[in-house]
Amino acid sequence: MTQTVRRRAALGTTVLAGLLLSACGTGDDRSEATTITLYTSEPQEKIDELLADFAEVEPDIEVEVFRAGTGDLTARLETDLNAGDPGADVFLAADAPTFEGFKEDGLLMELEPEELDAVPEQWQDPEGQYVGTRIIPTVIAHNTAEYDAAPASWQDLTDPEYDGEITLPDPAVSGAAAFNAAVWYLQDDLGEDWFDELGANAPVIAESNGPVGQAVADGSQPVGIVVDFMMRDLRDAGSPVEVSYPEEGVPYIYQPIGIFQATEEAEAAQAFVDYVISQRGQEYAVEQNYLPVRDDAGSPEGAPALDEITFMEEDLSEITEVQGEALDAFDSTIGG
Amino acid sequence: MPSTRPSEAERSLPALGLINTGLWLFCLAVVLVPLGTVALYGVASGRLGELAQPAVGTAAWNSLSSATLSGVLAVLLALALVLAIEHTQLPGRTALRILALSPLLIPPFIGAISWIGLFGPSGMVNSVAEELFGGPVWTIYGGDGVVLLLALHSYPIAYLLLTAALARIPAELEEAARASGAGSRRALVHITLPLLRPALVSSFILVTVSNLADFGIPALVGGPQRYETLATIAYRFVRSGTVENPVELAACVGVVLLIIVALGMLLIRRFSRASYSLEPSSSRPAPLTLKRPWALGGITWAAVLGITALPLSALLIQALLPAPGVELSWENLSLDNFRSVLESPWASEGAQLSVTLALGAALITGVAGLAIGTVMTRTSLPGRGLLRSVSLLPLAVPGLIGAVGWLLLAPHLGLYNSPWLILWAYVMSFLALVVQAIEAPLRSTSAALEEAARVSGASALRAFSDVSVRLALPAAAAGALLVLLTAVRELTISALLLAPNAQTLGVAIFNLQQAGSYGSAAALSVLVTVAGLLGMGLVTRRLHTR
Repeated sequence: MTQTVRRRAALGTTVLAGLLLSACGTGDDRSEATTITLYTSEPQEKIDELLADFAEVEPDIEVEVFRAGTGDLTARLETDLNAGDPGADVFLAADAPTFEGFKEDGLLMELEPEELDAVPEQWQDPEGQYVGTRIIPTVIAHNTAEYDAAPASWQDLTDPEYDGEITLPDPAVSGAAAFNAAVWYLQDDLGEDWFDELGANAPVIAESNGPVGQAVADGSQPVGIVVDFMMRDLRDAGSPVEVSYPEEGVPYIYQPIGIFQATEEAEAAQAFVDYVISQRGQEYAVEQNYLPVRDDAGSPEGAPALDEITFMEEDLSEITEVQGEALDAFDSTIGG
Repeated sequence: MPSTRPSEAERSLPALGLINTGLWLFCLAVVLVPLGTVALYGVASGRLGELAQPAVGTAAWNSLSSATLSGVLAVLLALALVLAIEHTQLPGRTALRILALSPLLIPPFIGAISWIGLFGPSGMVNSVAEELFGGPVWTIYGGDGVVLLLALHSYPIAYLLLTAALARIPAELEEAARASGAGSRRALVHITLPLLRPALVSSFILVTVSNLADFGIPALVGGPQRYETLATIAYRFVRSGTVENPVELAACVGVVLLIIVALGMLLIRRFSRASYSLEPSSSRPAPLTLKRPWALGGITWAAVLGITALPLSALLIQALLPAPGVELSWENLSLDNFRSVLESPWASEGAQLSVTLALGAALITGVAGLAIGTVMTRTSLPGRGLLRSVSLLPLAVPGLIGAVGWLLLAPHLGLYNSPWLILWAYVMSFLALVVQAIEAPLRSTSAALEEAARVSGASALRAFSDVSVRLALPAAAAGALLVLLTAVRELTISALLLAPNAQTLGVAIFNLQQAGSYGSAAALSVLVTVAGLLGMGLVTRRLHTR
């Protein structure tokens, strides 16, 4: 752990002493470095590795991380704002609609376009207040011990062969899953009919991507609708899983990054954003099994290149508009 | 109103009055202000009306029914186990006791995943059943699964409380019954069970209220069948991404839960009455003599193993395999997950922080709970019943909502991003565990001892502290132990209140699980469980050999 001060509170000492020691845990010993705080929903290990790499690029900038699920992050930010300013300088989580909300509330500052040009326009805010950092598509994963071949398309999942075998994250509790539901809903050849047919296969609605990945890997639900990087991680760890990108295309989010207007360390925050979307930062993302947002960073092992993947592109305003409708349709078919 | 006889002279006591004022101030600072803050945040948003939707009504009913049913189940299960393990001379009682208490230490969402692996639609048990009978035995998803898992995760609370109460029943009573010709069974039904009644009521209240707030089990097991509780609906608002200012709505849900608990407490106070009082005795309760010890032993072992060993072994297997789905064979088993967890800075720092916070919370709630519990049951000071209800309120509120109250206050207290914030949030949430643990044993002790001390010339305060407080100590220790074990793996409060670059054990396990590092999450859970059980083995043995 490079960023934290190692504190050695011997547990044998009194509780009080221990509390006093841990109370001076963070930020009491300022070095020359500038410190910025990052709120993120990135997996802990991945953000730790990324920051270790960033420390090589910018040794004078310390990044303190508050990592939590998107919901807890939202709750913390709302409470922060209610009591004053955001507790973070940089926010790396969730999806474009979330950042649109921040923008409307005037929370974000404009990013300087040093590296922005390398990121395709559709993956950044036209007003330059946030930019995509990694492409996270939702794909079909299957357990290779149970199935020889992957379902080739979303339509295939309605085949009775998959009756009782499918699991997917709950769009009612996950912003990203709700986003996906709206995208499927808007597809002419999928839409509500597809929800209906999929529902006939009685898929298990899991609480989030984490349990979905586990169920696919251990074979208890051998087919999953799930984010791609997690399954590649599992495959690398030895689980019998594989991902496939359905031929109709994939719904995806591009996990934006932005800087809060209230920051006192705009320059350091800017440097971190630059790094994340730089070629080096993007190559690091690829190493972590993510699809990058630039075409000069390669692709994770076993994943197609960016230009080989069909992405389901939908207008953001339209997604926001039909989200409620899509969730109702989902609930009355798959969730029913 | 409880009808304990207060000792004579206490009403005129300035010292006790001071203590009472101090306790009220403590509850005001630690419970009422943060809870009031979050309730006010909800009410002031003017959005309570948005909760007038059928989904919330259903969730409220589900919360109430699942908490109550699981409370009944947990208490019955705990009672059966306590009588079989603590009231007899079965072989292997220490091992049984430790196993029976193990669910306390497994974070509910991790336990739920283990059970899903067994009883999910294509889980291990149902896959076998599918092949044998062409259909699943029982699928865990839905309301029945939620009730069952809540009960299986919360019965150890009742177990500890009932054990402490049983240890106080003097042997003379059962011996007298048997001497008058009653068999073991009659002595049990007519003497022991009635004497345990206050402890049964206390543990039922405690388990039910804390199950109201549980999030992990209903989210994982109820979600797939669209079975929502107030706790999961609050989280749904916060996580959906489409609700404006979702924390305001979650706070409104908190208000609804507080109202439910307040009404429940009123009901209970109307119907509960002090039943018996015991003269304290130094003799140990007499174990039941069994006609067929092996039969009961076999049944008890099978039950305890069925409840605890299945999920524990699922967890252990997961921890020993490099990744889920890897074939289970000797050459595939490895300690890599344990190694990586032990080497990870998060786990060791998380352990340090969690153990420190849990010890601190256990100490503070132990002392404060002891004071509140004794004042409540041994004096007739004004407002004492209210004090008990106040301390119980935060237990019903999901961690997210309680934490928001502290987070709103933090900048004004200068505690933003400080571990002290988490400590006080723990104290708020877990104070009730100690207060409830103390209540039953004290309520069933007569005031004669204090009167004897007064007659012998002790001051009222002296009689109170030497007699009542001392009587309550073992129960307070059991309550503090509960706090320690609950706090050490706490997740939802710390998830919101942690400073950047800090983690508690619960959060570390959850983060690993969410990131797909299931093996490491399981390994860390196993380590926490084993360390906790070893610690608990030592402590509970002390509790018994008073």
